[in-house]
Amino acid sequence: MSLIESKNYRAPTATPTTLFLRSFLPWQVLRFIIINIRMTFMILKSHGKKLKTVKK
Amino acid sequence: MKVVVLGAGISGHTCALLLRKKLSKKHQVVVISPNEKWNWIPSNIWVGVGLMTPEDVTFPLKPVYDKMGIEFIQAKAKSIYPEGKGANNKPFVVAESTNKESLGREITVDYDYLVNATGPKLNFAATPGLGPDNGNSLSVCTAEHAHETAKKLNKLIEEMRSGQQKTFVIGTGHGLCTCEGAAFEYVFNLEFQLHQQGVRDKAKIVFITNEAELGDFGVGGLHLKNNGFITPSRVFAESLFVERGVDWITGTHVHQVEPNVIHYESLDGSKSSISFDFAMLLPPFTGAQLKAYDKNDGDITSTLFNPGGFMKVDADYSGKPYEQWNAEDWPKTYQTSFKNIFSIGIAFAPPHQISKPLKSANGTPIAPAPPRTGMPSAIMGRIVASSITDMINGKSDTPTHAASMAEIGAACVASAGANPISGSAVSMTMFPIVHNYNKYPDYGRSLTYTSGEIGLSGHWIKKLLHYAFIYKAKAKPFWWIIPE
Ligand SMILES: Cc1cc2nc3c(=O)[nH]c(=O)nc-3n(C[C@H](O)[C@H](O)[C@H](O)COP(=O)(O)OP(=O)(O)OC[C@H]3O[C@@H](n4cnc5c(N)ncnc54)[C@H](O)[C@@H]3O)c2cc1C
Repeated sequence: MSLIESKNYRAPTATPTTLFLRSFLPWQVLRFIIINIRMTFMILKSHGKKLKTVKK
Repeated sequence: MKVVVLGAGISGHTCALLLRKKLSKKHQVVVISPNEKWNWIPSNIWVGVGLMTPEDVTFPLKPVYDKMGIEFIQAKAKSIYPEGKGANNKPFVVAESTNKESLGREITVDYDYLVNATGPKLNFAATPGLGPDNGNSLSVCTAEHAHETAKKLNKLIEEMRSGQQKTFVIGTGHGLCTCEGAAFEYVFNLEFQLHQQGVRDKAKIVFITNEAELGDFGVGGLHLKNNGFITPSRVFAESLFVERGVDWITGTHVHQVEPNVIHYESLDGSKSSISFDFAMLLPPFTGAQLKAYDKNDGDITSTLFNPGGFMKVDADYSGKPYEQWNAEDWPKTYQTSFKNIFSIGIAFAPPHQISKPLKSANGTPIAPAPPRTGMPSAIMGRIVASSITDMINGKSDTPTHAASMAEIGAACVASAGANPISGSAVSMTMFPIVHNYNKYPDYGRSLTYTSGEIGLSGHWIKKLLHYAFIYKAKAKPFWWIIPE
């Protein structure tokens, strides 16, 4: 693939509100809590499973 | 019983600490690893832009192992004798000391159980001119590499302050690289840092990658539910690259890195070059290149390892075509054909890629190798520690715990600029890591548990993880409460 120049590429762009919210402290505190909850769910779902014990 | 763990990285260290916690003191836990220090590799990105020092991301292992009652042998494993040798039936490992006092001395360590967690060998030699030691590009794969990279960056920042324009090329140095997420993090931390230093307008930044499209990350990309749409991660990645003014070249295999010029081939077969003043290119990985021998000294390396040097475990290595790949191909218990040998983290041989493997029009493979990031690597360490404990305690003759990458998820935080007020990071969760079309026929992953967003809070989480994981690795009080 050839070099894509970002300045000439039409990608979806974040609106000024989205950009503002990305560093707006009260909103980010809320996102911090939500992302942590989401990641905790992921951790709980990802600790593998127990298998049957087998004695030969 | 004696359990020997090869490698004190994210997976091996987790496994060794948990084995020590779970097993009674009459059993021995031994770690063999060449480096005197432990390294929280994800924060090497911040060392590479000069925001942290190698001391911030490393600490000496011996005091931690002494405190825990784990024997630490500073050495590099060379070969495994899983059946013993001659009349001696006891399996053992041969290692070469990397300790200053006994440098190069051969050491023999017998074992009842062996865990291979030797991670990757950074294979800079795969591309002529790649790498900081004998080549022309920089790296952030080790704390020392990252420190050298930061020094070069500072020099360039000074030159840019005097008005010079510079070109930065960041990405993957070979068509079969993995860990594209690390290159992604570095390019945005670099961009952010140049901004902070007031020289962003003097820099052209190009991301060069073996991913067929941005946002692939070696996992075939993600699909995210967002504002009433199911959107591929490519769209979000492209949006971020455009927003931050980073140009990109996807689907590349780098053939050669000359001083200040990278020669590469693209998926369409075309060959091009790009000049640079600063190039940070990740190397492809191989396994640690251990050898294995039978009782009579016969070479059985190919029984235990694949040609890349990764250890074969309970996966399907039949080499099926892409169309027949299945979640069931992926290993569950990480046990090898020898029931007392396990392999975890980057050291185990994946059955195949996760992203669709492609070739250029000239037949050059351009296919991201499957990443085995920190969280799954540490989870493997945990489940293997649990299985070995149960086997030693006589509860079972077979492994008692499983964690297939097609059944577990991963949480990943990719830094995009480090600052407590103006920084940001992409916080991602994906479930499962490997597409599981049996369970999720549409996209191979759960749309409920696969998510991604960028913002300042992600940076706070990334910083928190830095401190939490170093605390845990130092085995400080209640370390085991911190999840993998
Ligand atoms: C720059 C960078 C940034 C990253 N960022 C992230 C991130 O943000 N999040 C994330 O989840 N993952 C990240 N990763 C990936 C993560 O670092 C790996 O997934 C993880 O380290 C794999 O763990 P491991 O135990 O398999 O290997 P390692 O952590 O590499 O450990 C391997 C260990 O084996 C030792 N060893 C090597 N050879 C031998 C031998 N012959 N004998 C004995 N011991 C040996 C090594 O010295 C080392 O101690 C990043 C990787 C890089 C390179």
